[in-house]
Amino acid sequence: MVSKIIITVLSVSGITGFLALILVIAEKIFADYGVCKVNINGEEDIEVDGGKSLLFALKEKKIFIPSACGGRGTCGYCKVRVIDGAGPLLPTEEPMLSKDEMKNNMRLACQVKVKKDIQIQIPEELFNIKEYKTNLALLKDLTYDIKLLHLELIEPKEINFKAGQYVQLETKPYGDIKETVMRAYSICSPSYEKNYIELMIRRVPDGICTTWVHDFLKEGEVLNIIGPMGEFYLREGESDIYLIAGGSGMAPIVSILYHILHEKIERNVLFFFGARTTKDLFYLDVMEYFEQNIPNFKFIPALSAATNKDKWEGEKGRITDVINKYIKDRDNSQAQGYLCGSPGMVKACINVLNSNNITNDRIFYDPFA
Amino acid sequence: MKETPLEKSLYRNFLPGILTKDGFIGEDKRHIHDIIEEDIRELERLGISEVELAKKLQELIDFGKKNLEEDVRYEHFIINVRWSRGMLPCPFGEPPLHYKIYAKITNTKLDKTIVVTQLGIHLMEKHVFFYGKGSKYRLEPVFLYDFLFR
Amino acid sequence: MPELSPLVIFIASIFTGNILLVYFLGMCSFLSVSRQIKTAFGLGIAVTFVLAITSAVNYIVYYYILLPFDIEYLRFIVFIATIAGVVQLLEMIIERFSEVLYINLGIFLPLITVNCAILGVSLFMIIRHYNFIQSVLFGAGSGIGWTLAIISMAAIRERLVEKKIPAALHGPGIALIIAGIMAMAFIGFSGIVQLQ
Repeated sequence: MVSKIIITVLSVSGITGFLALILVIAEKIFADYGVCKVNINGEEDIEVDGGKSLLFALKEKKIFIPSACGGRGTCGYCKVRVIDGAGPLLPTEEPMLSKDEMKNNMRLACQVKVKKDIQIQIPEELFNIKEYKTNLALLKDLTYDIKLLHLELIEPKEINFKAGQYVQLETKPYGDIKETVMRAYSICSPSYEKNYIELMIRRVPDGICTTWVHDFLKEGEVLNIIGPMGEFYLREGESDIYLIAGGSGMAPIVSILYHILHEKIERNVLFFFGARTTKDLFYLDVMEYFEQNIPNFKFIPALSAATNKDKWEGEKGRITDVINKYIKDRDNSQAQGYLCGSPGMVKACINVLNSNNITNDRIFYDPFA
Repeated sequence: MKETPLEKSLYRNFLPGILTKDGFIGEDKRHIHDIIEEDIRELERLGISEVELAKKLQELIDFGKKNLEEDVRYEHFIINVRWSRGMLPCPFGEPPLHYKIYAKITNTKLDKTIVVTQLGIHLMEKHVFFYGKGSKYRLEPVFLYDFLFR
Repeated sequence: MPELSPLVIFIASIFTGNILLVYFLGMCSFLSVSRQIKTAFGLGIAVTFVLAITSAVNYIVYYYILLPFDIEYLRFIVFIATIAGVVQLLEMIIERFSEVLYINLGIFLPLITVNCAILGVSLFMIIRHYNFIQSVLFGAGSGIGWTLAIISMAAIRERLVEKKIPAALHGPGIALIIAGIMAMAFIGFSGIVQLQ
């Protein structure tokens, strides 16, 4: 009887143990991809641990491919051109790629796994994106729902960005929230100031990051950012510039205005700022400074819900109507439009620009708006 | 209920702090599938279609969107839409991304107000998900039907 | 050992002794995965592989380990262990060599472990005293038979999508009715060759 029990136990353990051993060996063989070389733009070769997604493998080597969804395959921001070594197109990539993109070997970096040596092509600007450790030196209210953050760079000490670009800010756990997220905010400080950046952050209903910034964040905290990113910056030219913003969308516009002042750009500049009441206006002193020092610059705030108490003497009504009023009699054949703010406002204003002879190739805005 | 690791990581998305501050479950202790099943049964019992509810909400939001953060009147509703920058993925993990649109809708006849988001409408229409009980975005099908159509 | 050619066993296990439609094993994934032909086909292929390999492995384990040590009563535990191991191995191999297939199969792959048809085939080959070749062909044939059944079911269900079905029969109700009718149809094959 006892020997039977012993034999039973030994054989079952033996067989399952043997199976487990086979699986461990199999995992080593099949799931271990070793070290793979990623060749970038035909120049640099970097070594990464195989088996990871291209997005994360590159991130570990400090090359930041843009991503809004954290690698889940739902945003389509992480497209890179893979010349060789990626394997067949995955069903998770197909919904995010157009036929042209597929023909050009575009892939989603978050879905492609690095299993062997791979050759990719990424735009040069991506190399400028770095991770920065910063100190929140100043946190102050601009309005009842917009705060200004002044971040002194600790490590690295310098950042090079174009006026109008944005960074990704990493939140910290707070309250009941144990996870962190990354959220994008445009830089409002001058681009010639390389040792600090400033952000304008407006409260979003139930926003993870904005609730943290407005209710929990304290001066002196060390914050991580990744950047600079974005295609929103001033384009060359001699033509008129129409800047349009609402709420915290003023941030990149301010940075662009500093740039215009610093570079002594003499183009005609009109800045339309849409808000509801005088309570939503801020940086009026900065705008006055710009008006006095930038030739040919006019700041045009438009309030859509000004009350009699506000005693508002400026433009009243919807920003779309105010813009139309100012530009409809101008020659807009070369004019450029730069927009930043709520997507609804941006869409509506683009329509106004279009109907005033400004074509989409001369209109610029950040798509994450 | 048995879950694959993929499902477990997916349902993480419904918790507070991952995609939105308050998450999608509120205080509900039930499994996501159970929440959906019971709401489906409730809808069948009442003879209401979630698509009908979602389409009406979308109609209201689309009208409100035209007025940037102002109260507007549509039929007997007052709608205030706030559209913020950035986009949200669906917690069920499928493309596309959704705009961050937050709408306060008041039914002047019933004198009641609800809060609804663009993502919430998508969840209702495509996943029959009405949020967990206790979540501030939870809309009971019966209440919502009366709110929209009575 | 039955005096049947392995080829006869193979053909019989697909038609007259169809593991699903005659013995009603493997019904759960059959009912839940049979909505689309593409996924049904993918799962069927995976099940066939698992059946062929586990028949072979379990045969060896039974006749060279369990019997000699006089512990055949452990066959239930041990067979399940080998099935789980083989499925896990298959997952790893598929993930390595065809990520597209791996993503398409999704959770269906690990679900094969709990498919009772797999255990059923291993137990049947013992009961019927098949030899090694017969066992492997029995396993492969059962897999193909299972695949045949699930693809047929999926084809029928795809056509039913737009049709009016009484509300109470939606989903599992109508699926079981279809399965029953298919099973009766397969009885028609019984004249070809009789096994058991």
